[in-house]
Amino acid sequence: MVANARHAEEEKLPVPPAKDSVAASEISLYRNVLTIRKEHGLENLGISFYDAETTIQWAYNGDHYFHAASTMKLAVLLGVMRQVERGELTLDSPVHVRNRFTSIVNREPFMLDLGRDADPNVYGHLGKTLSVRELAYWMITLSSNLATNLLVDVIGIDTIQYALDELEIDGVRILRGVEDQAAFEAGLNNEVTANGLLKLLRLVADGRAYSQSASDEMLKIMLDQQLRSGIPAGLPKAARVAHKTGNISTVHHDAGIVYLEGRKPYVLVILTQFAAETGRGTAVAEVSRDIFNTIAGTTA
Amino acid sequence: MSEQPAVQSLKVVDAFDLDDELRSILKPGEMVKDPQGRRHRLPRYFYEVTDRETATDIRLTQHFGLNEFIFVDLKEHPRLQGFPRYVPCAVRILAFYLKQFRTAAGASVHIAVNGGYRSPTHKLTTGAANPHLWGTAADVYRIGSNILKTKEAIDKYNEIAEDVSDEIQVFPYGHVTGTTADDHVHFDIGYITLIPRQINEDRMEQPQESRPRFAFEDRRKKERRALPEGVAADEKDD
Repeated sequence: MVANARHAEEEKLPVPPAKDSVAASEISLYRNVLTIRKEHGLENLGISFYDAETTIQWAYNGDHYFHAASTMKLAVLLGVMRQVERGELTLDSPVHVRNRFTSIVNREPFMLDLGRDADPNVYGHLGKTLSVRELAYWMITLSSNLATNLLVDVIGIDTIQYALDELEIDGVRILRGVEDQAAFEAGLNNEVTANGLLKLLRLVADGRAYSQSASDEMLKIMLDQQLRSGIPAGLPKAARVAHKTGNISTVHHDAGIVYLEGRKPYVLVILTQFAAETGRGTAVAEVSRDIFNTIAGTTA
Repeated sequence: MSEQPAVQSLKVVDAFDLDDELRSILKPGEMVKDPQGRRHRLPRYFYEVTDRETATDIRLTQHFGLNEFIFVDLKEHPRLQGFPRYVPCAVRILAFYLKQFRTAAGASVHIAVNGGYRSPTHKLTTGAANPHLWGTAADVYRIGSNILKTKEAIDKYNEIAEDVSDEIQVFPYGHVTGTTADDHVHFDIGYITLIPRQINEDRMEQPQESRPRFAFEDRRKKERRALPEGVAADEKDD
């Protein structure tokens, strides 16, 4: 048996070592990324990925901080699950749906512009309740800002940052909920790096975001993502992606875990920043496609 | 069509007779200061609502169900998120005034979650007295199909409420923070307690077959019992 294995290994010798193949792929990927950055006029681009199948980890500008946009909702979800795991909250707890929040800057109240919030599933319940689970679901799958701010109110912003620190996730800074205009004008924004979000998602993928059951709960919600113009748009249709997008005027992000048939998942974070307001474009999808091609090439 | 049960069918409880935990949540008969420093005694008599169906079935008026006055979220003490639930008997009087308000407004009046009765341990209770703790205040978030979120709408319905009765107090737009955002009309009739007619007020002086009237009295009694023999209470305090 051992001899057979050695024989098989000897037969493989003419094939270039995997290390060289990976290096070549990385160079190719790097070139492609530079091309995409140039073609799309990106002011900044941050990418980080980790492939559980090959254990390849690669980053481009991975520690650069970007405005988090709605990718911060992954951190809110983590904070919620922390409280659930500690028994301080249950996913079935009812939460009053109301549109009044307090700015972190001047303690002034503010309301969300519900016309901009894509999710009537939440604001349709104004004055009534939704459960923590329902709010978490709509916060991620339709990126509901109202659900996000309600959950931030429930668990407290400090809890979210505490959860990140507790799990040693550097590169994700959460200061506030969403649409806090006074905070925005004061330059107080949530920020993420590609490597920071990658760490968070790897914990979820590995079942180590507090516990296997907490991670499974997060994954289940993220797999139902309905905004799919980012990472999934660069993948074969059969791919399942547990992810969260983030789009405001000048930034378009996506961060997710990609499941392909017959192999372990890979985790990918793509953060893009434009000099001026722009449509979503296809930069994120193109990077996703190139990463997929690289992964497919190195595991073929 | 079967007749819906009336509030009179509910059991009235003297909160002093409830268990330790409930007494510490409801704080019956305790004095609380309002923001102006005036002291008010918290209600002692409550309707006991045994289950969700009862809360839904019982009408305080034709248009107001009891459930609207006890609808809370996770800010309420966990014991009062489930059943049995307790609501001060004066909630009936509030419902009566809300009925007048509904007629004057000419549309249905909807009370927000956490907008009816709140216990003294509810997270929106800041420590100061407010009529929500008496079951005599309602935060109205919607009238007809109009969700109240603008100064114009809130001012309009505040005015209508004030015209209904001098007993009704409303707060101006932005009353919580004094500024730019609000999402309800606050409607209250003050610190009213209701003693149902079946209650014998002799018990006000000699409650519960010599059991302590207040939770803190119970605690002190237990503490005294726990003192080592020969140690006076004042020595222990030092």
